Amino acid sequence: MASARMQVAAAPQGFGGFVKEKVLLGMSVKDYVRSCCTPVNAVAAVILAVGLPLLAYRFYAGLGATTNLSQTAPWGLWIGFDMMTGIVLAAGGFTIGASVQIFGLKEYHAIERPAILTAFLGYVMAVIGLIADLGRPWNMAFFPFNYGTASALFEVAWCVLCYTSVLFLEFTLPFFEWAGWARAAAFMKKLLIALTVLSVMFSTMHQSALGSLFLLAPTKLHPLWYTPFIFIFFFISAIVAGISMVVVESSISHRVFHRQLEGQPVDADKLILGLGKAGAVVMFAYFFLKLQGVVDGHAWGYLATGYGALFLVEVLGFILLPSLLFAYGARNGKVKLVQFAGLLGVLGIVLNRLNVSVVAFNWQLPSAQRYVPHWMEIWVSVTLVTIGVLAFRWIVNRMPILREDPRFPGAH
Amino acid sequence: MAHDFLSIYGAKAAEYLLAIGYLLLFIPFWRYVQGARPKEAVVRAGAAAHAAAGAARTAFPGRAAGATAPSPTAGWFQVPAGVYLHPGHTWARLEADGLVSVGIDDFAHKLVGAAALELPELGTRVAQGEPALEVGDDERKVPMLSPLDGSVVAVNAAAREHPEAIDEPYGRGWLFKVKPSRLAANLRQLLEGAPARRFLEDAGEAIAFRMSPQLATVLQDGGTPIHGIARALAGDDWDQLARQHFLA
Repeated sequence: MASARMQVAAAPQGFGGFVKEKVLLGMSVKDYVRSCCTPVNAVAAVILAVGLPLLAYRFYAGLGATTNLSQTAPWGLWIGFDMMTGIVLAAGGFTIGASVQIFGLKEYHAIERPAILTAFLGYVMAVIGLIADLGRPWNMAFFPFNYGTASALFEVAWCVLCYTSVLFLEFTLPFFEWAGWARAAAFMKKLLIALTVLSVMFSTMHQSALGSLFLLAPTKLHPLWYTPFIFIFFFISAIVAGISMVVVESSISHRVFHRQLEGQPVDADKLILGLGKAGAVVMFAYFFLKLQGVVDGHAWGYLATGYGALFLVEVLGFILLPSLLFAYGARNGKVKLVQFAGLLGVLGIVLNRLNVSVVAFNWQLPSAQRYVPHWMEIWVSVTLVTIGVLAFRWIVNRMPILREDPRFPGAH
Repeated sequence: MAHDFLSIYGAKAAEYLLAIGYLLLFIPFWRYVQGARPKEAVVRAGAAAHAAAGAARTAFPGRAAGATAPSPTAGWFQVPAGVYLHPGHTWARLEADGLVSVGIDDFAHKLVGAAALELPELGTRVAQGEPALEVGDDERKVPMLSPLDGSVVAVNAAAREHPEAIDEPYGRGWLFKVKPSRLAANLRQLLEGAPARRFLEDAGEAIAFRMSPQLATVLQDGGTPIHGIARALAGDDWDQLARQHFLA
């Protein structure tokens, strides 16, 4: 095949050539190490130098030594932030994947791979956070054989396993192109639409299943956040998070990796404005759903309390306001406003998940018994985010994520 | 305290009012979000042509689409005014009698060269984006997509029997005529004028890139492509290359 012949001709010679060209970006080891000496990398190195030993210490000494978790507060930052927030912010993978592959919005193809990569890394980091949070993580190997079909956690575990596998398979497409394995890449490309269907299915199931977990503890969650429909709220807010996160991630990527995008026929601003329209409409609906949850739960009276103020900040400041900003920005072509609204949307979802799983959880306990995260928990969480960001940067700098691989024209 | 705030009837009434209020507010909100004004400031140089193509499609039937970046392959492939191109490299042209002529564009013609044609039978219903004809040789056939919906009312037998007729792909090389069923909707999906020319230039660049991938857009000087580029570039796998471009 002619294209295969061209790939061979264009491929770097030998394993050493491959490593130099593909891994070291054409530099010698010495030059590569020197190029890594940047202020950003220095900060990341400090975070990892402390965080990775802390993670190892957690597995050596246990949860009691490294966290402030207790029998009354078994879920902490690693569940509230790493798991709940990490998973919801990874929703861009299925949101954009479905838009492009299933709904035929091909113009968003340019941001599909970054969204899938963000989702994949988000899930991997969430899984690491989850394993760190398990009291006996070694039992995880046996969950597929314990048929706890009535357990919400059983569903969450299966969905995370399945969806992470699907994301991994979706990610193999740019990996195979990077490695120059044309047949494998062509095969995965054919599978992509099936994988997208699976990703929508698993995401729908388990974004909502994470909300279903709170159906098990209706009295522990504050009435302003608890509703019997919380699983629907989780799913819709996942779409909000997916759109907002893709807006933010695209904006940062286009600033940081602008060299890769030069000369590409992609109008990033147009895509961001399009996402702004979608974000405006979904957030508008989500705002009214949140109000409906308050009415349905007869919880109006709590709005005058401290928790009510927090709820109003979340709902007015981080749902209604970004919805209106998205709408105004998208209509009037104000890209920066849409990007700001996306940032508010991301922060709003982080706030919501932390409120649900940490702040408004166990709200009736006296303050002395309330959970406050240990500094080690915070550091490990920051470490996991740092690893995710570094991995994203490493992959984008090498693999055809933002740009097309010249050996696979039309594949991106 | 809060749980006594409303009776069950009051709460239900509030829920219904909220739902109705949402629906009433959603309509103007939706119209506001969708009613974007034309935006020029964000169109950047690298994307100018693509953005212009989108804008022109929206503003059917095709106004001038702004500046386009000069292309090294400009002029390789022709498309006359009044011809609407489908992304699968077929075209449609409105005739005076209300019928629509359909053919393959200059790019497809030069890509495949003189080829045997399999045309649809009279009365066949064709649909936009669905295979309607085939080009190829004795061994391999490549399907091509219909640019619009309708039923076939005439077939150009001369083109079928004498493939050299499609040397004039937009003239006597028309392939069949269709009585359209969704003309307005179909035409919105097609390219005309500057977007159509830009589309063919992009296709030309893809071919040029294939000729010399390391050199990217640095091309040979002068000349135009030979007929049968696909065979020259891909040999026996010419049909794979053609399928890729024809979206088959």
